[in-house]
Amino acid sequence: MNCDTPFRLELTGITKRFPGVLANDSVSFGVKPGEIHALLGENGAGKSTLVKMIYGIMQPDAGEIRWNGEPVTITNPNAARRLGIGMVFQHFSLFEALSVLENIALGIDSKVPSRELRARISAIMDEYGLTLDPNRTVETLSVGERQRIEIVRALLLEPKLLIMDEPTSVLTPQEVEQLFGVLRQLAAQGCSILYISHKLHEIQALCDTATILRAGKLVHTCDPRQETSRSMAEKMIGAGLRDLTRSRDRALGEPRLVVSKLSTVQADHFDVPVRHVSFAVRAGEIFGIAGVAGNGQNALLEALSGETPASEAGAVAVDGKPMGTADVSARRSKGLSAVPEERNGHAAVGDFTLADNAVLTARDRIDMVTLGLIGRDKAEAFAGKVIETFGVKAQGPGAIAGSLSGGNLQKFVMGREILQRPSVLVVSQPTWGVDAGAAAAIHQALVDLAQAGSAIVIISQDLDELLALCDTMAVINGGRLSRAMPVAEVDVEEVGLLMGGIHGETEASDAVPA
Amino acid sequence: MPFRLEKRPAPSRLMLYATPFGALALTMIAGALVFSLIGYDGLAAVQQIFITPLTSTFRWQDLAVKASPLIIIGVGLAVAYRANVWNIGAEGQYIVGGLTGTWVALATHGMTGIWILPAMVLAGMAGGMAYAAIPAFFKTRFNVNEILTSLMLTYASVQLVYYVVRGPWKDPMGMGFPQTRVFSEAARLPNMIPGTIVHWGVPVALLVALVVWFVMSRSVFGYRIKVVGAAPKAARYAGFSTNATIWLALLVSGGLAGLAGVLEVAGPFQRMVPGFPTNYGFTAIIVAFLARLHPIGVIFAAIVLAVTFVGGDLAQTTTGLPSAASGIFQAMLLFFLLAGDILVRYRVRRVSSQPAAGVRAAAEAQP
Repeated sequence: MNCDTPFRLELTGITKRFPGVLANDSVSFGVKPGEIHALLGENGAGKSTLVKMIYGIMQPDAGEIRWNGEPVTITNPNAARRLGIGMVFQHFSLFEALSVLENIALGIDSKVPSRELRARISAIMDEYGLTLDPNRTVETLSVGERQRIEIVRALLLEPKLLIMDEPTSVLTPQEVEQLFGVLRQLAAQGCSILYISHKLHEIQALCDTATILRAGKLVHTCDPRQETSRSMAEKMIGAGLRDLTRSRDRALGEPRLVVSKLSTVQADHFDVPVRHVSFAVRAGEIFGIAGVAGNGQNALLEALSGETPASEAGAVAVDGKPMGTADVSARRSKGLSAVPEERNGHAAVGDFTLADNAVLTARDRIDMVTLGLIGRDKAEAFAGKVIETFGVKAQGPGAIAGSLSGGNLQKFVMGREILQRPSVLVVSQPTWGVDAGAAAAIHQALVDLAQAGSAIVIISQDLDELLALCDTMAVINGGRLSRAMPVAEVDVEEVGLLMGGIHGETEASDAVPA
Repeated sequence: MPFRLEKRPAPSRLMLYATPFGALALTMIAGALVFSLIGYDGLAAVQQIFITPLTSTFRWQDLAVKASPLIIIGVGLAVAYRANVWNIGAEGQYIVGGLTGTWVALATHGMTGIWILPAMVLAGMAGGMAYAAIPAFFKTRFNVNEILTSLMLTYASVQLVYYVVRGPWKDPMGMGFPQTRVFSEAARLPNMIPGTIVHWGVPVALLVALVVWFVMSRSVFGYRIKVVGAAPKAARYAGFSTNATIWLALLVSGGLAGLAGVLEVAGPFQRMVPGFPTNYGFTAIIVAFLARLHPIGVIFAAIVLAVTFVGGDLAQTTTGLPSAASGIFQAMLLFFLLAGDILVRYRVRRVSSQPAAGVRAAAEAQP
């Protein structure tokens, strides 16, 4: 390491304590000008807390932040932006009904005349190859395009340090490459980048240095190019990573879930309905549905779970029984279970205990109800079994669901469904925002369930996850499902194009070139 | 700013139960100040309204009689509010329950039989349910806000009382007074303790609270109500229909308000009069919130509000406070309670200002 280069940002002994948790325990590291620095760690490792302090959303309890060598107190995000720190959040804050230009204008602190702003925006877009029509309404844009608005908004302030929080989780492989191009160009011009992610191969492809946090402490700083994904993952979770054990060439059985010409009605303005979706999943098969967020995944999951029943009974069939018009409870009793993407508030009630959350979906299959009364001991016993079997880190069945970390709550939710031995399990984003250790456990549980003869559908934006787990996969775009492809024959390039809306042979006529 | 609100990692259970007491204390302090400032003896007023009804054993029967309709309505509202169904029209359902009960009493006038009171009770509950079914229908069918419909229906029900006591149900022997005839013996709620005004509505109220508490904490019905209120999407995912829950919540709260209405007309009133609408249905909203929507808590909250009713009457005669005074105290109570609720999810933290102060001191030292 070159000691002569002064750090652009230097943290010394940063400590932040929340009630009962030490979120950051004396963290010290530095980011040099023009360096792309990865911040790596499991969920709850303290990455978000740390960047919130750098961006002025929170104040450290102890420690010092130096900016270009000078100690600074960053009291709020305005102060951070004045120093030259920009941030692109994982969740965008954009007004859907306003244009790109209006959204950018709203996001900047100083008043700039619209014409001048437009000129500056187009200059930035030209410079970095960020194509975007300033007059388009945000609701018509893809997620990747929306992210470009946030990036342009950050670049307008000519930042010296850009913080990117999990930026690729919603992008297609092609969009990821474009983003990396922009980030490399920025770094070449001297802008430092703090890149938060848990996708290890991206960090290897992009970053110069990686700082790994675990349980609030800095455990390692390394050059990601000298490491393997596995070695970094093991540093991140502080233990050896288990390999996924499965037999690839197992025999698949009869179709258990058959979906034919399933269509949904648009529920509200922001809903993307599915149109004429057909696929079949056999016993023992894991069927993956790839796609960029907002292409009908939610509508598909709710149509399969029974939250929005179809108009035709034959649209969804489980083990040969038409269930298209059946409600959630009827489908569950026939063995069709689903786990939606949103854990807190959809798959689980955050204010309830884990035992009460067990009642949510398991009350009939686990026989918790007698004469309309809930057997508390049975609910607690089942919740306890889920906690034990799936290694959920919680104080017990009485723990409040909302107090669990995302990964642990997801393990609980997945375990709750898997222990009910469903014949068909549909899961959306099973490892979204889940740390590597928990993700591996969830993956193994899904594979085991399939091996026991269930049919599994995984809806995910994480292509790597699908490629690793699935036997067959298809791509959803604009509510339509592509043909099913055996994973062994999948061409990532083609999948990327399908995700971006290029349907190749079937819909070549109305496809728009990117 | 030396203080800042900070979100708690989990809602504080201590604050959940402490804020109602804090709100009560603040109400007394603010009430004493306000009434002193406008020229009354504020301390005496607070004492009359909040303390005297409790210290004088003679007033306890008044408290019991006033608290029981508040308990019955408050318990029903606690159920509805748990499901995020905002039935604000309990007063109207209470009135209609009283009217349908009166109808049975008048139709059976002069008859005897122990079936008459149960028939009145059933009619009263059915009336309250039917009146609550109107907002339920509009909410589930056309997504009309139930706050507006249930509230406005209250005013319609008050006019209905005025109409029947002046028109079809007017007492033929009443010398022109706008009221119905006094119910026959069989249609009157008997006194439970001889020599007092405590009627059988009081144990009924306690029983209702206990039964609803059991149902809410143990049954699938209670679970369903709580899930719908806490996370509507999770409720759908669990297979609970939102519309069916809206219906259930309104029918339960309307039915209980109707029960309170019929017990009130068969007990203390013994006839329908224009003064029957006494705002119990509105006060019960405060009761439900003060009780943290807990059926057992409702018993205690109802007693607190009954104290302000009884004390308000006392203060009128002794301190000369206007009759609106008890309403003002009740409103302040709700106001402080809702304001204090922020402490359940947030806490006040002193912001350590050392680094900032250090910088400021350094900056001042320089020029």
